[in-house]
Amino acid sequence: MHILIVEDESRIAKRIERMTRDILGDTLHSLKYINTLHEALLFIENNPLDLVLLDLNLNGDNGFDLLATAVSKSFHTIVISAYKDQAITAFEYGVLDFVSKPFNRERLEQALLRSISNEKIETHEIKFLAIKKRQRIQLIPIEDILYIKGAGTYTELFLRNGNKELHDKSLEKLAQLLSHTFERFHKSYLVKMSEVQEIIVQSGSKYLAELKNGKRIPIGRTRYKDIRAKWV
Amino acid sequence: MNLKSLAYILLIGTMLLVTSCSQNPVYKQYETVFQLGDQQEWAAKDLNAEHWTKHIKPIPDGQVFWSRTTIEILKTPKALHPYGLMLQLYGEYEVFWDGVLIGENGNPGQEATRDPEGKMWATFSIPTDLTEAGEHVLALRSSLYHFPDHIGIEEMKIDEYNELQTQRLIEASYMHLLAGAFLIATFYFLFLFVSDKKEFATLIFSISCFLLFALILAEFSKVYIAIHYSLHVIRLKIIGALMLGISFLIPYYFSRRFPFPKRKLLLTIYAGILLYFFLSKHVFELKANNMILSMWIFSIAVVVFGVYKKIKGARLVLLSLLLSVSIGFFTPFDKSLFVGFCLILLGMFYLLSLRIKEQRLAYETSLLQSTRLRLELLKKNIQPHFLMNTLTSLIDWIEESPKKGVLFIEALAKEFDLLNQIENKTLIPIEQEIALCRTHLEIMEYRKEIKYSWQDEGIDGSQKIPPGIFHTLLENGITHSLPLNDNSIQFKLIFEENSKYTCYTFLTFAKRASQAITAKEDGTGIKYIKARLTESFQEQWAFTSRPVSHGWKNTIKIYF
Repeated sequence: MHILIVEDESRIAKRIERMTRDILGDTLHSLKYINTLHEALLFIENNPLDLVLLDLNLNGDNGFDLLATAVSKSFHTIVISAYKDQAITAFEYGVLDFVSKPFNRERLEQALLRSISNEKIETHEIKFLAIKKRQRIQLIPIEDILYIKGAGTYTELFLRNGNKELHDKSLEKLAQLLSHTFERFHKSYLVKMSEVQEIIVQSGSKYLAELKNGKRIPIGRTRYKDIRAKWV
Repeated sequence: MNLKSLAYILLIGTMLLVTSCSQNPVYKQYETVFQLGDQQEWAAKDLNAEHWTKHIKPIPDGQVFWSRTTIEILKTPKALHPYGLMLQLYGEYEVFWDGVLIGENGNPGQEATRDPEGKMWATFSIPTDLTEAGEHVLALRSSLYHFPDHIGIEEMKIDEYNELQTQRLIEASYMHLLAGAFLIATFYFLFLFVSDKKEFATLIFSISCFLLFALILAEFSKVYIAIHYSLHVIRLKIIGALMLGISFLIPYYFSRRFPFPKRKLLLTIYAGILLYFFLSKHVFELKANNMILSMWIFSIAVVVFGVYKKIKGARLVLLSLLLSVSIGFFTPFDKSLFVGFCLILLGMFYLLSLRIKEQRLAYETSLLQSTRLRLELLKKNIQPHFLMNTLTSLIDWIEESPKKGVLFIEALAKEFDLLNQIENKTLIPIEQEIALCRTHLEIMEYRKEIKYSWQDEGIDGSQKIPPGIFHTLLENGITHSLPLNDNSIQFKLIFEENSKYTCYTFLTFAKRASQAITAKEDGTGIKYIKARLTESFQEQWAFTSRPVSHGWKNTIKIYF
């Protein structure tokens, strides 16, 4: 794993670093500590990362600018902040977890494990997906997204207005973030449950979900039972 | 009922009062003719006075002269209600009615040798049998030693004798009631001014009230004080001086409330015009008229400007001014003068009450502001960014190096203690503030693991400053700075003093962390500093904060 810690309090940064090394052990490949927003942005653009541990209040700057950029990337973001009241907003942006200060090893471990496992975890409700479009970060409301298709390392978001947008996160990572409203129908499809109009069973154990807009999406054989149960 | 509607009712009430004081006279006065000399027959009713002159030259040396005035009584008096004759004129004289001596006022012809006797205003009873409807002759045997050019009856009135006597007293007593009210207002607003010397408006109002009180006294004291005609001019001079004062103060008062461009220049010109009228050789009435007229014109101009600028209260004051002008058109000068002044003073009073209300609100706001600032100071050490980061670092120190952790806790305790000491103060000794800053740096060293150092230069221990302002600058410095290459950040506080101000310069020696600080809006920290400075020094301070090559530079100047 490649991890970046963005934190302007040196003592706290060292604590996070020490605990992270301890928790992840050999799975950790690189760990970088940066204390300014500007450097952090540069680093994120130019280095492959799996996880960013981010403090939202850096040298008096508003960390939400950095947060929007971070969540549009392929990696997960965990916020570590002194301001508990920022948690809801952070989750709406699509962070994987929010660790409030002061924190202990157990809490940090829980957050880190969340990022390693691809299991669904009950997170708070996410409101937006941030995408990078023409050098700018754009926030797409979750309610506008009908379904998501995996396309290699990135994903395609299919929107209510017929548009298609690209997101840098993998389908697995998005599935984690969107577990509230979206279900994995197929190894390359994530569908919003509330959009499903009908479930069609075709001959040869072929299962399809028909969305309200008429679009048909295949349902994985192993997943059919589960989906069926949830849909009713 | 609000103040505005009360003022309206007062205005209307005064108008009604003024317009209701008119009556039909019982007599008609014809021309007066004069003759130098002294013959007892000249008193006779049916004397042929054809050769007497209507205009007579000043008569020197207090020689005796006669005047005859034909008077037509329009209505025979009721039985047992004899008519009286009220006279206002210069000189000592004997009064003959249809040839009968009905009274005397001094010793005509003997003024040079005898003490002054008699009074400017005198009332004589006329025998009932001489006042049947028809023509009668009023003959005066007079001498005018002191003001030989003031020949002639200034004012006369014939009415029921009792009526004449009491009417004046009633009028005077009402006016004295009014004077009493003005006297009370004088003291009330004087005391208000004494308790708050900055409130110049209350002083002006107090003086205006006093001048009006004195004016009423000067005007109506004639009813009960016998003034010899030779002294009358003194009274007129006093009245003139009082009017001069009032005529200046009223527009001056308005000009403070409704400020206009070139105020000082225009006020000086106005004062010059008033002085010119006051010192001019005109007769008294014209002088007074000129002054009052210029006062009205200037006041109305000022208030109209206030209305134009939409300043609160201007419209009501304009209404009261216009009303006082309109009253001036249909009532005698001396009455309209006082009613007019009363109305204008009411207007001023209304403005003053507005001002007092504004001050009360300002005071309440300042109380609120002080409380808010106090809370903000208290919040410094419990706001999450400070507290949670400190606690996280503290946990880490305790886990990793308990001994250092203890030192950290001690530093934290010290800062909390210092903050507790200054929490409810608006000014604290500079030494205390420096101690607070030093402890804060100690804590931040544990947190950030940067070498912070503090220096101060030329500090005068006797100086006091609002609490937490350098602490705030220090916090800003820590937050927005990155350490120099040797992992250090330096802060320096320099104190300088000269005859005009004391100056604190607060320097940060570090790399700047973020570019966004040059933003247009002040952060909460800077707002706190400015609000604290305003709280203690009002407008007498200046604050600058800007980046420099070595880091950051703040200056706080406090003017004497």
